[in-house]
Amino acid sequence: METSVGVGLGEIAVSQNCEEILVAFGLGSCVGIGAYDPVKGIAGLLHAVLPEPLNGSDLSSTKYVGNGINKLFEEMISKGAVKERLIIRIAGGANMLTSPGLSKTFDIGTRNIAMTLKVLETQRMKIVSQNVGGSTGRTFRIYVADGKMTIRMIGEKETVF
Amino acid sequence: MTELRSIFTDEFVNLLTKISKEGIENASKGFAGMLGKELTVKSSTAKLVKLLDIPKMLGGPEDETVAIYLKTEGGIAGQMMLVMPCEKAFGLVDMIMGEPIGTTTVLGKMEKSALQELGNITGTYFLNYVSDNTGRSVRPTPPAVMVDMCAAILDIVIATAGIENEEVLMLDAEFVQGDLCTEIQFWVIPDPQTILAYGAK
Repeated sequence: METSVGVGLGEIAVSQNCEEILVAFGLGSCVGIGAYDPVKGIAGLLHAVLPEPLNGSDLSSTKYVGNGINKLFEEMISKGAVKERLIIRIAGGANMLTSPGLSKTFDIGTRNIAMTLKVLETQRMKIVSQNVGGSTGRTFRIYVADGKMTIRMIGEKETVF
Repeated sequence: MTELRSIFTDEFVNLLTKISKEGIENASKGFAGMLGKELTVKSSTAKLVKLLDIPKMLGGPEDETVAIYLKTEGGIAGQMMLVMPCEKAFGLVDMIMGEPIGTTTVLGKMEKSALQELGNITGTYFLNYVSDNTGRSVRPTPPAVMVDMCAAILDIVIATAGIENEEVLMLDAEFVQGDLCTEIQFWVIPDPQTILAYGAK
């Protein structure tokens, strides 16, 4: 029987249990980074909140894209995954406010995406697919059994991406 | 970086609670005037909330939710949000537009405009009170109406306030009009810099 494992703000989940589905519910400006090692059957999901810390913030927090991605890979590798084999997909980074005068103020989604792309490029990790941007929230699921990754927007069906 | 908790004394909380309570009472007058119905305000509080706990404060993260959002600028910078389940928003639109309850089933341009106006009036009444009682000028931005998953909407608050702090100050209340308007939450989240400026006095 399948079990959903919620991945909250700034959290990471790594699983090798075929019956688990890792889920980041309602990603708005947040970005979800999913990774899967098809040989070992290890899946990981990061729910990153902000692109980078300001001076004085907790640098070790996985709510930041850069540190979160590093920790995600570390946890997966510690369970036996091989970094070069990881299939990576990203989703989220919406600009939730489209009202004139407010949009630019809340460009966190765009900045989260840009930072994710930059960090992954620096680590020479290729993104297989992405469903990012826009102005709508998404729920991001990874099925540990086969590494399938899906998104669902409000009023829409779950789709593989 | 100074943490909010360091200035969050009982005295300071009491002051904030008083200002928010009376400001929200004033906002309810604007709200009620627009609806043409009596409103009461329930459970007005000021509290420090852990950023990462905010999504747990409302229903399910994927629940379809409507939010009317304003930013405040000037001497008191922050964010204001009226948050409600979709069905409640439909009922509110019916009341504003003088239609029988159950008429509105989707939020089109006109319906969103009605909710924007509600946000405008409620926010302005709140800010007028706060401004009069603190001597600080404050103005709202035009409101934005969002319909999306609850967690996605709350990302706005989290991302904006969370850049600087792990915790945010949240003033919240619930407007009640008979059975219809329960579950409409009114949140005010002052920017940390504004709170720190007040707390330092």
